[in-house]
Amino acid sequence: MIIDTISICLICIGIVFFIGGAVGILRFPDFYTRMHAAGKGDTCSMFLILLGLGLYQLHEPTLANFLVFGKIMFITIFIMVTSPTSTHALIKAGFEEGIKMWTRNGEKKGNVK
Amino acid sequence: MKFLGLLTVLITGFLLIQAERDFPDWGDVNSPASSYKLSQHYITQTFAETSVPNMVTAVLADYRGYDTMFETVVIFTAGIAIIGILRVFGSNIKPDHPEVVLTKKKPDLIVETTCRLLIPIIQLFALYVVAHGHHSPGGGFQGGVIFGASFILLALARDLQYAQQWVPENRILNLAGIGIFIYAGFGVASLLLGGNFLDYGVLTAIIPGDVKDAHSHSMLGVEIGVAFTVTAIMFSIYSSLSSNGHMKEGI
Repeated sequence: MIIDTISICLICIGIVFFIGGAVGILRFPDFYTRMHAAGKGDTCSMFLILLGLGLYQLHEPTLANFLVFGKIMFITIFIMVTSPTSTHALIKAGFEEGIKMWTRNGEKKGNVK
Repeated sequence: MKFLGLLTVLITGFLLIQAERDFPDWGDVNSPASSYKLSQHYITQTFAETSVPNMVTAVLADYRGYDTMFETVVIFTAGIAIIGILRVFGSNIKPDHPEVVLTKKKPDLIVETTCRLLIPIIQLFALYVVAHGHHSPGGGFQGGVIFGASFILLALARDLQYAQQWVPENRILNLAGIGIFIYAGFGVASLLLGGNFLDYGVLTAIIPGDVKDAHSHSMLGVEIGVAFTVTAIMFSIYSSLSSNGHMKEGI
């Protein structure tokens, strides 16, 4: 019962982050901020949703369910490693291509290429 | 325009949900697919005949092994065709899109570390998918694609030439040929031992165990052959397409 509540809460929070990521991709002004929303939002929401699904498996604590929980956690670790890396690689590629960063009034700040 | 799109999506979704009610239930015994006589045979007899729990693999690699062999040949042919169309040799290298051909990248620390961490795991998982194909979903095609993808990841993270240290062009073609050779070899071996082409039952003469085990082990062998071909052709297609056929440097 408690574990179900926790998993429902985690999945709901994850969905909120997911919506945040989706809105960010659509609404943010340039490539970098959009990638930021996509990378951060997806990683965090995926972590929360998978954790919730894994905990939901545990409400009958048998060995098979623990194994499923372990597999889901393995997927989580995989996503936690790969998703930020792909975001980093994309942003680095964009930076080397010379995509301009967005500033509030179009003024130049810092070492913008 | 947006409203029109929304309307289309809503109507299509409504129709799909309506049509979904006509589907047979999950695992329904009386659905056409399950009540057909041949399906009955597969469902009841697969494990007794081949000792393979995964019916899909049994049908794919044993009952319809001839079909699957030529699917593998189709993949091989596709790879050869792409090489034949795109490959350019030696002096007539003319990159059509010079802006696409990037200069040699210096390796990025984060990407490289992640790749070093992940590629062994991906390759191990690919081998697992191949070897476990007759107990769980998986098999030669899926495992081969995962294995090929690990080399593609290497080529993306560093560059094409770095990945080609492990899978150079001639080795790719050899591997693709070896895969089909393994598959057809099982067929020819059963012909030589007096059975039909790809009739694994007669292979008990050279594979230890009874007829069931011969079926099961031959399926594993055939899946390994498929995995060889698919791995090689996956990477070959990527390297041909990404480098405009000159295999020097790619995206």
